[in-house]
Amino acid sequence: MQQMKRLLDVYVALQALFALSCCFSDAEPGPVAGSQSNGDRFRIEGRAIVPGVKTQDWISTARILVEGEEYVGFLKTDGSFAVNDVPSGSYVVEIVSPSFRFDPVRVDITSKGKMRARLVNYIKTSEVIRQPYPLQIRSSGPHTYFMKRETWGWTDFLMNPMVMMMVLPLLIIVLLPKVVNTNDPEMRKEMEQSMNMLNPNPELPDVSEFMTKLFSKGSSKSSGGNKGTRSIAPKRR
Amino acid sequence: MAWLVVRLAISMSLLYTASAVFEDQVGKFDWRQQFIGKVRFALFDTHSQASKKLLLATDKNVFASLNSRTGDLFWRHVDKTGPEGHIDALLMYGQDAVVVVGNGRLLRSWETTVGGLKWETVLDTGSFQAAALVGVQDFVKYVAVLKKSAISLHDLSSGSEIWVENLPDSDSVQYQTIYSGGNGLVLVLGVVPNSHIVIVEYKIEDGEIMNKKSVEAAWMSSLESSCAVVSSGILLCVDQITQSLYTLPLQSAEQTEMRQIHLQTLDLEVVSGFRPVLTSTQPNPAQPPLSEFFLQLSPDHHILLQFKDGLIAPLRDFNPAYLAAFATSGERTVAAVMSPKNDTACSINLFSADTGRRHLDTTIIYHMDPNGGKPNRLYVHAFLKKDDSVGYRVMVQTEDLALTFLQQPGRVVWMREEALADVVTMEMVDLPFTGTQAELEGEFGKKAAIQDGLLPMVLKRLSSQFILLQAWLAHLWKLFYDARKPRSSVKNEVTIDVLSRDEFNLQKMMLMVTASGKLFGIDSKSGTILWKQYLENIQPNSVFKLIVQRTTAHFPHPPQCTLLIKNKDTGLGSLYVFNPIFGKKSQISVPALPRPILQTLLLPVIDQDYAKVLLLIDDQYKVTAFPSTKNVLQQLQDTASSIFFYLVDSSQGKLSGFRLRKDLSTELIWEVVIPTEVQKIVAVKGKRANEHVHSQGRVMGDRSVLYKYLNPNLLAVITESTDTHQERSFVGIILIDGVTGRIVHEAVQRKARGPVHFVHSENWVVYVYWNSKFRRNEFSVLELFEGAELYNSTVFSSLDRPHPPQVLQQSYIFPAPINTLEATLTEKGITSRHLLVGLPSGNILSLPKLFLDPRRPEMVSEQSREENLIPYAPEMPIREEWFINYNQTVSRVRGIYTAPSGLESTCLVVAYGLDIYQSRVFPSKQFDVLKDDYDYILISSVLFGLFFATMISKRLAEVKLLNRAWR
Repeated sequence: MQQMKRLLDVYVALQALFALSCCFSDAEPGPVAGSQSNGDRFRIEGRAIVPGVKTQDWISTARILVEGEEYVGFLKTDGSFAVNDVPSGSYVVEIVSPSFRFDPVRVDITSKGKMRARLVNYIKTSEVIRQPYPLQIRSSGPHTYFMKRETWGWTDFLMNPMVMMMVLPLLIIVLLPKVVNTNDPEMRKEMEQSMNMLNPNPELPDVSEFMTKLFSKGSSKSSGGNKGTRSIAPKRR
Repeated sequence: MAWLVVRLAISMSLLYTASAVFEDQVGKFDWRQQFIGKVRFALFDTHSQASKKLLLATDKNVFASLNSRTGDLFWRHVDKTGPEGHIDALLMYGQDAVVVVGNGRLLRSWETTVGGLKWETVLDTGSFQAAALVGVQDFVKYVAVLKKSAISLHDLSSGSEIWVENLPDSDSVQYQTIYSGGNGLVLVLGVVPNSHIVIVEYKIEDGEIMNKKSVEAAWMSSLESSCAVVSSGILLCVDQITQSLYTLPLQSAEQTEMRQIHLQTLDLEVVSGFRPVLTSTQPNPAQPPLSEFFLQLSPDHHILLQFKDGLIAPLRDFNPAYLAAFATSGERTVAAVMSPKNDTACSINLFSADTGRRHLDTTIIYHMDPNGGKPNRLYVHAFLKKDDSVGYRVMVQTEDLALTFLQQPGRVVWMREEALADVVTMEMVDLPFTGTQAELEGEFGKKAAIQDGLLPMVLKRLSSQFILLQAWLAHLWKLFYDARKPRSSVKNEVTIDVLSRDEFNLQKMMLMVTASGKLFGIDSKSGTILWKQYLENIQPNSVFKLIVQRTTAHFPHPPQCTLLIKNKDTGLGSLYVFNPIFGKKSQISVPALPRPILQTLLLPVIDQDYAKVLLLIDDQYKVTAFPSTKNVLQQLQDTASSIFFYLVDSSQGKLSGFRLRKDLSTELIWEVVIPTEVQKIVAVKGKRANEHVHSQGRVMGDRSVLYKYLNPNLLAVITESTDTHQERSFVGIILIDGVTGRIVHEAVQRKARGPVHFVHSENWVVYVYWNSKFRRNEFSVLELFEGAELYNSTVFSSLDRPHPPQVLQQSYIFPAPINTLEATLTEKGITSRHLLVGLPSGNILSLPKLFLDPRRPEMVSEQSREENLIPYAPEMPIREEWFINYNQTVSRVRGIYTAPSGLESTCLVVAYGLDIYQSRVFPSKQFDVLKDDYDYILISSVLFGLFFATMISKRLAEVKLLNRAWR
């Protein structure tokens, strides 16, 4: 909660900043709808576009929702819409369609009926990134409701790290002796050097050793005394 | 181990973030049914013969087009709820349907083939009276809308206003109807009750008043209900007091008073107390109405009359007849009349309107549902057959909102149960075992083991195994038999007889209670309605509470459900007890409830028949037990001191707790008053009784345990401020212990208002409110912890908890409006929880509870990573993959019901609103069953491959060894 408050404080400050920078006549576009008593009602207009799809294929299932279901509008056969009887205030206008995705737009209506549209930003609520008004809402494509099933293919199998870890050393073991001439003394020397490099740090405890130690400890408990550990002790370097 | 499972579940859910639907799962275990509500207007598209369209406008503010051959929706438009979306009138001409919405506020024209809006006009304010199509010279060009004080004429093709005129003397005259006979005039009829009728003639072109006259009619109180226009502009009225019909030519200058025709002269009589109804028909708005009309004299007496040359002649008397309706096809107008045939069936016959003669071979038999209501509306679709005779189909609407579409000779083409558009409450009940399953269960019963010896037990065992084998073989045979048949002919008909519990208890019986008082039993797997029961005499403002008293687990006792029906105004209630599987009313005697019921309480105490005891508390704090056998009363006396209950009085802002006494009276223990001047109690919720919490605490990053505060008696009380000003409004939440009345926690959200949706479960409360300052929805989560140590780990007692819990809270922004909120529920509570959020768009979002965790850190640390805590982000994500119902949106989702299934991973979900959607969710993926896409082929091919590889290599090794030995 505290985090939230802190964030909010930041946003309040931001909001003040925006109020200064914004020359829109109603910088605080939040006259609550309920406090209006003059009963002026306005109309939100716009057009929805789904690129490449005929309007009659999708408009019958789509609706315009203003601030949830507070005001509802329907689409005309040409894709345009109008939501009537909306009092002044600030509203999120959303086109809801089960098949296509539309981004919501915030529409501010002043008490005089002046309108503007801007991007919805729930965090910086007073940030103004203007959108065209009358609204032009373009669908960003069909909804992606479904997860992709993981399909099985040979490439997936081969690219599996486990498979690669098994196959590559095999190739090296089989192919390397044939490629490299082991009789060459210079080469042999080089290889020996690299083998030394590969050898682990003698200070580092070995995993296998650790395991044996662990298990022998367990068994030693039953046998009584620490014979097991002692027997391993000489192995330790 | 349990910890491991939980951690596993959490990490799994983190990996995949949430359950989602795969495309191949569509329709596999989910279904949706769409409804429209109670039909107010229905029009058949008679524009062309082949048209299948049926346009419907309903009381749920839905305007829809139905396929009249199948009953499926072509399209449906759901308007705003409440009076602003109310559909006042529906008119149709050609391809266009004109709708008046919101008490005459909007005039809309719909293109009916596509389902798109053609135009929409805003009309002036004023209460709507009537609307009519207006034709000129056989063409319908305009629509006229009559308001209380004005009339306006609109162009039908563009919606533009031609003219609007104020009505003369509109403050004294009640204008109620419009009439236009296609002669260039629009007539507006008004009445001054018990004085006179006013008729105003307007010219279509410019709205000029051509003529205005008033006619004496001292007996008339309302035009609408008792008058009709017949023939070429004759106003016909009926009055039950003077027992006579009155006629008046609307456009004649000579006649200045109504002509009275006594019903006695026609040998007719109105039944006392019944308001007679006149029905006329105007097939074409550009032409005057027909001269034939129906007169209804009593609820089951109709008569077809004809007006000719100023005289009224009866054409045919229909006695008894429930319903009568006109229909027109081309130039022929017919009348369909429904008459009772016997107790269970009605017959519908077709008569030619102009002669009253019966058409031969036109009888449709309508069988009334014995569990349904009476038919109350008849809609007729007439069409011309190839041999030029008139054929027809009818749609019958009954009191219980069922729509039945019939064709000759009585075949039900389709049926819709529109009562399901308004589900009030629901429950899910396990299906019973089949006979064989029950028998097997019986074998291990206690009684059997004591009575029988060893040998009979063995024999019994063998016989039951044999029965199982038989059943399995029969099943195999059926599979084989079905496989031979083409797929289309295999019908998966679900009936009550074949229903039985499946092995994972995924299929259940859904009990739905609708506002109209109709109960439904629906199979959760297919959505088939298995039984329905209409309860008559249910007041429209009743509230319902459904209680499952005995589940199917107590064979051979039948399961038992109790429905408490309470009148909202008087508070008087009644009980209806029934069997949830078969829908039959139970014979158990029900206690009479003479006093208003305040609270019900389902106790875990069971009577000798395994029914849970229901306590009903009336307004004098007296307790009635149901069932109230001696056994129950004895048990209640023993446990009375530990039975507590609470009452909420939101009008006085009072919460009070009571304890049961041995004599079934009660004593007040605590009382909390929330001053109503400041805030009002909006909702009170406890935890769900069937909820299981698997883990007592949470493992922290440093391996210590943070124990949850799991108080089963905790109540979450939501309050809202009475001051609704943006700056001063607030939402409060109070957590109260229901036994002691101790306030455990209190939180206030300033600059916030409702509607508040909340879920109270386990040790957390999640609530959503509207932040009026930033104009967005916010989620807030409260979690209660005991701390690092449990005070008393064996049993929780509200009376002995000295330490207040630690409360953590965090809030988030939710970037969408919310309709309803519910949490998933699983059998053992091991699976991680999700919140199911119903959105106004109709989608149901499955939001992982992981995102609503007050311990989400601002800064990521090693420990928080260990705990799988997501770093705090103010905005909650909404992903389309989380919509469990993909494009199967649920309009106006009002409630979500969750029920556990036999599988721990699976939770059954039913969302209801205007539509009903049933599905399953897997909050932690399906960890206890093989996945749908489990690759059987791959795994078996790998197995076989390995097997053969070992065989071959073994053989090769042998050969090699042999060769080496020989060397």
